Amino acid sequence: MDKRSEIAWLARRAGWGLAPGELDELTTLGTGAVLDRLVAPDSFGVAPNESPWNGMKFAVDPKGRQRAEENLEALNRWLTHLATSPRPFEDSMAWFWHDHFAVSSAVVNYLPAMVAHLELLQRRALGNFRELIRAVTVDAAMLVFLDGATSTGRSPNENYGRELQELYTLGIGNYTEADVRAAAVALTGYVVRRRDDWKVGFVPQRHDDTPQVLLGVGGVHDVDTVVDTVLDHPAAATRIAGKMAAHFLGNADPALVKELAGVFSDASLESAPLARAVLEAGLAGESVPIVMAPVPWLVQAVRSTSAVIEPRVAVAMLRNMGQMPGQPPNVGGYPGSATWLSSSSTAARFSAAGIIAARTPDEAPVLAAAAGGDWADLADLLMRPDGFSAATRAALSDVAASTGGRPGEGRLAVALSSPDLLIA
Amino acid sequence: MLNRRQFLGAAGGLAGAAVAGGGVWAALLRDSVEKSTSPGASTTTTTSTIAATTTTAAPTTTLPSGNRTLVVVQMAGGNDGLNTLIPATGLYRDARPILGIPETDLIEMSKTDYSMHPSLEPLGKWWEIGSMTAVEGVGIPQQSRSHFKSTDTWMAGGPSATSRSGWLGRWMDATQDGDPDPLRAIALAGGGPMLVGESSLATVIQSAEAFQLRTTDSTDAESLIAAFLATASPVSSDPAMAAAQQAIPATVDAVDLLGEVFSESASEGNGRGVSRADPVAAFNAAARIIDLGIGTQVITIGLNGYDTHSNQLARQSELLGTLATGVSGFLDQIEADGHAENVLVITMSEFGRRVGENGSGGTDHGQGGLQFLFGRDVNGWDVHGELDLANLANGDVPTKVDERSVYAEVLDWLGGPTDEILGQSFERIGVLSA
Repeated sequence: MDKRSEIAWLARRAGWGLAPGELDELTTLGTGAVLDRLVAPDSFGVAPNESPWNGMKFAVDPKGRQRAEENLEALNRWLTHLATSPRPFEDSMAWFWHDHFAVSSAVVNYLPAMVAHLELLQRRALGNFRELIRAVTVDAAMLVFLDGATSTGRSPNENYGRELQELYTLGIGNYTEADVRAAAVALTGYVVRRRDDWKVGFVPQRHDDTPQVLLGVGGVHDVDTVVDTVLDHPAAATRIAGKMAAHFLGNADPALVKELAGVFSDASLESAPLARAVLEAGLAGESVPIVMAPVPWLVQAVRSTSAVIEPRVAVAMLRNMGQMPGQPPNVGGYPGSATWLSSSSTAARFSAAGIIAARTPDEAPVLAAAAGGDWADLADLLMRPDGFSAATRAALSDVAASTGGRPGEGRLAVALSSPDLLIA
Repeated sequence: MLNRRQFLGAAGGLAGAAVAGGGVWAALLRDSVEKSTSPGASTTTTTSTIAATTTTAAPTTTLPSGNRTLVVVQMAGGNDGLNTLIPATGLYRDARPILGIPETDLIEMSKTDYSMHPSLEPLGKWWEIGSMTAVEGVGIPQQSRSHFKSTDTWMAGGPSATSRSGWLGRWMDATQDGDPDPLRAIALAGGGPMLVGESSLATVIQSAEAFQLRTTDSTDAESLIAAFLATASPVSSDPAMAAAQQAIPATVDAVDLLGEVFSESASEGNGRGVSRADPVAAFNAAARIIDLGIGTQVITIGLNGYDTHSNQLARQSELLGTLATGVSGFLDQIEADGHAENVLVITMSEFGRRVGENGSGGTDHGQGGLQFLFGRDVNGWDVHGELDLANLANGDVPTKVDERSVYAEVLDWLGGPTDEILGQSFERIGVLSA
């Protein structure tokens, strides 16, 4: 890859696309410098990442039902933030953790707690994984999502104890049913005080402090000892390294994962060095083409085109394409590429592309490139500096410049709906 | 919205193909794509099924299960089985002082002590001819009381949440021949997670409204859809890019073939077609899809609202009425169309409800549930499994039948390989006639 292609790759995989002109600026800066700024923004004086929900007022009724209007506002703030973030990789990693923990607002059903959960993921996105797990374990949304809030010494609920090991850290085969029970017992006693803004409390009478044997380690009896025991297990580093490699590179080759897991362990489970190693591996040729999920597809398209999409329309697009931010369909996270290639997702993507093209402002460079038939320029503006496939170029050439309301609009719609834009 | 026939007519020269079947255009495209990349590859599934519909003498060498279609109806929320098929026992009356269905309202069922909820009246005739059966006390070990986790377990066909695949998606993976054909499995307003596979594709429809190739008013739809199709060929040598390309003709095909089916399937009094707001439309659409003969082997239908924590009498009455109207209308239609011998319908719900009533005129989440099966191949005039109200499990109907036993028979009926799909061998309890 040349420098421009490398930076475009970083923008597609590790960021949320780039606005017109940004690829030129970053190419001048160079790949190494761009990677540094993505992974360690603090060291380069990049403005801090604000919560998308800063200053949002929640008018929640006593029953805790989230209101449709607030939900829409929260989604709109999230999508807008992703398309404009000064720290795209932090948000990219926060999205990775959102997919990893898969807490769904449909289950939590209390928007302020869901927002607090997402803010936690954003704050700790590039931090220490051990600290992230510790915080998530006693996070109100998670305590409700996987039943920790109703787990008592008398009747421990195994839901979180299981998923902590199966999905969040070790993977199946690395723990036993007895380990699930041991973790569940040791984590009992937490409550979510729904009448008090969902504050998390610990009620000693609901906790069973009997020392448990977890993964062969004795004396486990509370959050700290559970988290430390689970994360001291070597499978944890391997699982997270593998998942990150699959997510960003589309490649979970065992030798690569082993190397990345070594980086992660040596860094005491700090996420930033692992993330950097993953991206460096990608730039060194360990990346394979991947199918983009609807949320990054939409955000990147909006960023490239400067299209202005009404919140309701954006949410309808994502619902029709099959990915709602904040609502993974199950505890396994968002589904894989097969779902994004389904007929309903594909049809919805075509329809969305038409709307994005129609909402692209007159002065947007993509529109001029499309009208002028400058396919190399159009591809570059859409973060594909290596150009479109021959099939897409031929298809674009068959669309008259005048197709659509304004010159280039129809061609832009076809480019946005093309397979080239679905593959990152 | 452009209609395929208009499109092909406008494009010229392919009108004949359009008459022969809307799938031909995409099939041709896919075929040429495939030939251009792998000369020795076998014909795609889609192509062969479409060929079968235009040939009167279907080849007899195919597996007997080849033209079968399974319809899975998901009753989401946890249906109260106890008030759906009512047992003739005083224990029922004791447990349900308020919610118990009066004996005079019950629909009798020959050769069994159970009776049906009055709203299931349209299903009575199917029971009486032996084309309907039920399984009591059904569940999956370790299923949760959480809707969400338990639904995952049922969709996956096992207690592990790690697998993102569904039991029917794994069946499609195992039986896939050539390129994935998304029309083999269609989810209508629910049930999609059952169809998720590793290599196979499914068509997941949330609503007729979403399943369209829409263009903005000012644009030339024909030209844009033609260009969209053109981006799919020639196919790339990269697998991800090739998959993204192949999804396009498959989609244009599916929208063309099914878009009208979905929008025209609206039940009376609702013009929207398949959607959460019109549950009966999905049953109408399912019957039409089967009659189209496009090789669809699995259809899921999502019904919502069974989580009756309160006001259960009125709510469940309406819900079961919808189910009965939908299923019975569907069975009537496939009988009329001559497909009845090749179709099996099963219901599923993530759990049963507690035996005791709660204080809100409803019931809370329980364990063992109730499942229905319809079709000529069911073992009728008998309720399978066991409803043991004398030995409750923490106040719940105990789970006596592992749902995967039922899945196993259904997968056998579809042609297997059953044990491979379910990860182990489950006892066949005889819900279907072998």
